[in-house]
Amino acid sequence: MKWLVAVDDRSIEIDSEQLVSVEEVEPGVYSVLLDGASYEIRLLETSQGLSAEAGGRRFIVDVRNPRDASRSSSAAVGSGRQNVAAPMPGKVVRVLVQLGDKVEAGQGLVVVEAMKMQNEMKASRPGRVIEIRAQAGDTVSAGDTLAVLE
Amino acid sequence: MFGRVLVANRGEIAVRIIRALREMKISSIAVFSDADRGALHVRVADEAEHIGPAPSPDSYLRVDRIIEAAKKHGAEAIHPGYGFLSENAGFAAACAQAGIVFIGPSPESIRRLGSKTAARTLAKQAGAPVVPGSEEAATNIDRARALARDIGYPVLLKAAAGGGGKGMRRVNQESELESAIRDASSEAERSFQNGEIYIEKVIEKPRHIEIQIAGDRYGNLVHLGERECSLQRRHQKIIEECPSPWVARHPELRESMGEAALKIARAAGYDNLGTVEFLADNGGNFYFLEVNTRLQVEHPVTELVTGYDLVHLQLRIAAGEALPFTQKDIGWRGWAMECRVCAEDPENQFFPSPGKIAQLREPSGPGVRLDSGVYPGWNVPLEYDPLLAKLVTWGPDRNIAVERLQRALNEYAVAGIQTNIAFFREILDDPEFLAGNLSTEFVADFMARRRPRAVPAPELDLAVAMAALAHFQRARQRATVVAEVEGSRWRAEGRGQLVR
Repeated sequence: MKWLVAVDDRSIEIDSEQLVSVEEVEPGVYSVLLDGASYEIRLLETSQGLSAEAGGRRFIVDVRNPRDASRSSSAAVGSGRQNVAAPMPGKVVRVLVQLGDKVEAGQGLVVVEAMKMQNEMKASRPGRVIEIRAQAGDTVSAGDTLAVLE
Repeated sequence: MFGRVLVANRGEIAVRIIRALREMKISSIAVFSDADRGALHVRVADEAEHIGPAPSPDSYLRVDRIIEAAKKHGAEAIHPGYGFLSENAGFAAACAQAGIVFIGPSPESIRRLGSKTAARTLAKQAGAPVVPGSEEAATNIDRARALARDIGYPVLLKAAAGGGGKGMRRVNQESELESAIRDASSEAERSFQNGEIYIEKVIEKPRHIEIQIAGDRYGNLVHLGERECSLQRRHQKIIEECPSPWVARHPELRESMGEAALKIARAAGYDNLGTVEFLADNGGNFYFLEVNTRLQVEHPVTELVTGYDLVHLQLRIAAGEALPFTQKDIGWRGWAMECRVCAEDPENQFFPSPGKIAQLREPSGPGVRLDSGVYPGWNVPLEYDPLLAKLVTWGPDRNIAVERLQRALNEYAVAGIQTNIAFFREILDDPEFLAGNLSTEFVADFMARRRPRAVPAPELDLAVAMAALAHFQRARQRATVVAEVEGSRWRAEGRGQLVR
C-alpha cells in the first residue's frame, strides 16, 4: 500500500514494502538503511504532532493514508489578528504596552522570565494592541496568549 | 583530608564535585529543592537533604538551611560550586562560624575581590591594567550621567556584585542611560540582592581571556594558564578553550597576563582557586575585568590541558595542604574546547526550553569528556539556569580538538526539549571560528551572517518519512493489540459473572 508522509512542507510517497529497511533500535529510535547509507531517526510525539530529529535537524512529520490525503495542511498565517503567545513556561515580568497602543514590527510587548533569562516577546508585524491577557507576576505556560494585535 | 563534604549546588557541577569526592573517598551530601528530588546530583550522592521549595531564594540560596543540613549530616566542609552562594562572603563567614570549612577563599578575599568596584581599585593599586571606568557605584542617575560623560560613550553598565552578564547593559548614548541603569539595577537586585551598578568604557571587539590561579594558605600562588571565552551570547560564555588562539599567536601574553593575575591575588591575600578575567584588544593590550572567587564553569578545559584535577586541588587546599607543585612544574599539552549545552531553542531566539528529556544519546569515545547533570526522563526545571551539560574535547592541536568536538556533537541527541547542539555544529563549521578569529562580538556577527539552512537532502527526507511510517504502523498495531486484550478481559469478566 502507498502512503503519503509530510516532512515539514514536503510530501513524500512511500510504499509499505520499503519498510523492510527500517529497524526500531531503541524505543522511538529508528535505523534506516537506504541504498547502503545508514540514518538514525528519533521520533517523538509532541503537542505539534510527530517530531523527528535526524542529522542534527528537526522535522515535523505527518503520516497520511492516501485515501484521506485531502486533509488540509497547516493553518494559514499572516492574516489580520496576531496572537502573541508565550513560547515557553515562565513568569511575566513586565507588560510593555497598553491597550490601544500602536506597535511597530519588532517592538517589545511583554517580558517573560524563565531559567533566569528575561525574554521580550515582540510584535512580528505592525499593528494595534486590542487585548492584553498577561500582567506582571502571572505564571504562564507555553502557548498561552499574552496579547492580541490587529 | 575531610571525611564528609556537603555540595551546596545542583546540576552538572554538583555531579562533577560529587565525582571528585568519590574519587577521594570522601562521603558526599547533596542538597535539593522540591523541583530537584529526582535530579541526577541527588541520585549520585551518598546522602541528600531537602532544603526547600523550587525558587532558589527559598532553597539553594538559603544559608541557614544549608548550614543546618551540613550539621545534620556531619559535614566538615561545604563546596559551593559556582553561582548560588559561591561568591557570597556572608555564606563563607556563616560556614566558619558554624565550624564548617568553606571550600574557597576566605570571606575577606571574597569581599575584597567579589565587588567589582573594590576589585578594580585593588587591581589598579597592585599595578594591573584596568579598563577606564568609575571607581564608585552609580545608582544615582545624575552621578551616572556625569561618570558616563567623563568616560565617554559607548559605556558598559555592570552589576558591582555580579557575574555571568546579569545586570550588564551597553549604552551608546546618554538618552538610553536612565532606562538602562534602571533595568540593570533591578536585574542585579534580583540576581545578587545588590542593585549597585558601575560604569566602564567599552573596548570594541575584545577577546575575553582569563587566567586560572591557585594558592594555598602558606602564600604559594601559581597560575595555570589562560582560557579564551570570547564566544558569548548575551554575555554568557558558550564555547571556551585552552590555550587561547590569541595567546598561541602571542605566547608572551601568557606570562604577562599570568603575572598580572598573580599580583592581584597576592594583594588580596588569596588562597584556593580563582579566575582573573581580562579583556584583550587587537593591539596586544589587556585589561583587568574581574575576579571570580570560585571554580569556573569552564574549568575542565584547563584540567585537560594541564592534567590537574581542579576540584581535587580545591579540596586539598581547603583541608590545609600546600600546593603540590610550583609554577615551573606546570605545563600545557595539546588543546581543549568546551561547549555549554543548554535547554534553549536556537531556531526561536534561544528561548529557554525546560521540560522532559524524552530521549538522550550522549557522546563518548577518544578525547571526549561530558560533564552532564541530566538523564533520559529528567524534567528540566524552569526555575534554574538552562545549562544541561558541558561537552569538552581534547586533541593534540586545535584542529583535532575541533574535529572531535564536531564528531561528538553529531553523536549527541536530545529529544523532548530543544537544545543549542545544532547551533554549535554551525559555529564549528564557520571559517572565522576555525581560523581562531574570535571576539566577544563573534556570536552577534555570526548571527548576522548566518544563512538559513539548506533544504535537507532528499535521501534524508525519505529516511525520516520511512521511519515515521514505521512508527505510525507500530503505534497502530500496538493500539489494536491493547484493544484485543481489553476485549478479551471484558469477555472473561462476563464469563466469570455467569459462572457465579
